[in-house]
Amino acid sequence: MGFILKRVAQMVAVILAATFLAFAAMNSLGDPLFNVVGFHASVDCDAVLAGEIEDVSGQGGTDVGDCEVVEAAREKYHLNDPLPLRYVRWVGDVVQGDLGVSFKNSMPVTTIIGNRIPKSIFLMVVAEIFALLIAVPAAIRAAYKANRAFDKSATVSSFGFISLPNFALGVILFYLFVVKWQIFPSRYEDDDFFSRLRSTVLPAMTLALPLAATYFRLLRTDLITTLQEDFVLMAKAKGLSDRWIMFRHVLRPSLFSLVTVFGLSTGGLIGGALVVEQIFVIPGLGRTFVEAVIRDDFPLVLGLVTVISSSFIAINFIVDMFYSVIDPRVSRET
Amino acid sequence: MKLNLTTTKRGSKGLSPQDEDSSLIDDEKREKRKIGFGFWVSIGWMILVVIAAFLAPVLPIPDPDQTGAGGRLDAPNWDNWFGTDTNGRDMFSRTIWGSRVSLTVGFFAIVFGFAVGGPLGIVAGFFKGATDKFLSIIIFILFAFPGLVLALLIISLLGQTLAVVCLTIGIIGVAPVARLARAITISISEREFVAAARILGSTNRRIMIKEILPNVTIPMGALAFLGMALAIVGEGGLAFLGLSVEEGFSWGKMIVLGSASRTLQKAPWVSMFPIGIMFLTVMSLNYAGDRLRDFFDVREMGIGGG
Repeated sequence: MGFILKRVAQMVAVILAATFLAFAAMNSLGDPLFNVVGFHASVDCDAVLAGEIEDVSGQGGTDVGDCEVVEAAREKYHLNDPLPLRYVRWVGDVVQGDLGVSFKNSMPVTTIIGNRIPKSIFLMVVAEIFALLIAVPAAIRAAYKANRAFDKSATVSSFGFISLPNFALGVILFYLFVVKWQIFPSRYEDDDFFSRLRSTVLPAMTLALPLAATYFRLLRTDLITTLQEDFVLMAKAKGLSDRWIMFRHVLRPSLFSLVTVFGLSTGGLIGGALVVEQIFVIPGLGRTFVEAVIRDDFPLVLGLVTVISSSFIAINFIVDMFYSVIDPRVSRET
Repeated sequence: MKLNLTTTKRGSKGLSPQDEDSSLIDDEKREKRKIGFGFWVSIGWMILVVIAAFLAPVLPIPDPDQTGAGGRLDAPNWDNWFGTDTNGRDMFSRTIWGSRVSLTVGFFAIVFGFAVGGPLGIVAGFFKGATDKFLSIIIFILFAFPGLVLALLIISLLGQTLAVVCLTIGIIGVAPVARLARAITISISEREFVAAARILGSTNRRIMIKEILPNVTIPMGALAFLGMALAIVGEGGLAFLGLSVEEGFSWGKMIVLGSASRTLQKAPWVSMFPIGIMFLTVMSLNYAGDRLRDFFDVREMGIGGG
């Protein structure tokens, strides 16, 4: 129990540090007010209110009235408080499930994210399933007859897929299956589960193939290494069937690096999903994110960064926990 | 069914009986000693690409922005090897010119990642203790952001210039570089020559620069190739998010332009040629990096994020 509690505390600390970094960077480098009051946000309003400068823009734009709007907005968003205080207040809101209101359309950020996130999660889950369905059987087959034709061709093509950037693969698949053969729809259809699945197959494949290549290479190497252990020889000597040895004795101890990379790759998968959503026009988190960034929608960007990096950290945490299920020695060591 | 039971065990020093037929592990070991023909092919391709990028202004190719270098959306022909795009611009010329931005990003991002991550990792691995804890936490927090999310955030704040794109991708590279440098440093600082230098009265700084740095640099070379591949791909990903360099064009931006539905339908070559060249370049970098890694036997090449 102590082990798990320690890791949970660690995870929360990292999430806090990461969000603080994003919060601080966006507050000091970006202009959180730009979307609320427009150009006037950049004006030195203290000076205007004190009557020192009259026309800052040189176009007769900024006067005392505008500056009162700016002041009101600063007051409303608590921008006059010091940064740490604002961060603490923000965390307080987030804990209560309030990520603020989008500057763009005044919708709560949680609602926007809530609407978009299922599509992205669905895409990533389907992609991981595809990747594992391709990689695990292929790796078992390749390791079983190492250096034979299947192993060699699978190893070579896996190298190709690792080097093919996901957007390039996406464009190629889009060209072949949507433009040329018109097997899949060109727009994202979301009428029922089936149409959603149909619209997700190609983008999921785009994410899955490079991923499967990575998984394949790892698992194949680990399987081959495990196959040389003495206990395999022992099992063989006992007369157990190859199938039994492979699935009951060899597979489980070989899963270790696969699980690690499964966790690490979620980061790449999230990034990849952002890009792939652009190519296949999926209204998921990725598109929302890009739109929010382009519009400088401060609360939405911050909310998305928080949600995405927190889930990334949480996934890695779960993967970490999963180690101790595969290999109980892990929890005793730490 | 017969299991491929090989009798030599990786890591065991000849404890298990050697078998007559060469097992897979033996093959791999034998390959390991030679860097192989493929490595030189990869290097050759890279040199070709780099030379073409450098010589772009003097090569006898049309101006990449000149409209009407051919018809609109011409298929590849003798005048326009890679065809032309929607504005009748020569795709072969654009592919060469586009490589300048992509390669610049790949190169400088890696330089930045190494310049920052290398010292971080060496210092953390050398001093251990509190310094290591502190630096490891920083590295850990950098790892907490999915790469592209971090990039999106930084570029949106700092603007879409070439320098910012290089810097951003470089920052993403800091954490993996630092982690590997730390791991190698820890293993090296136990070695005799470090102890000898210390007994001779060398300062920590001297030991780090004269003894450890050279030994860290060589195996890290493999990471440089792999990282450059990731950086070039990363720039392409940013292009798809509309966040790559604003001025000029890169392979990524060319692929984005060519992947519009209508262009793709009428003229797939507009996107497929940049994809092909980018693929070959990334594959060469990956392959060369892979071979070097095997050659120097570097373990723990964690390159997370994307």
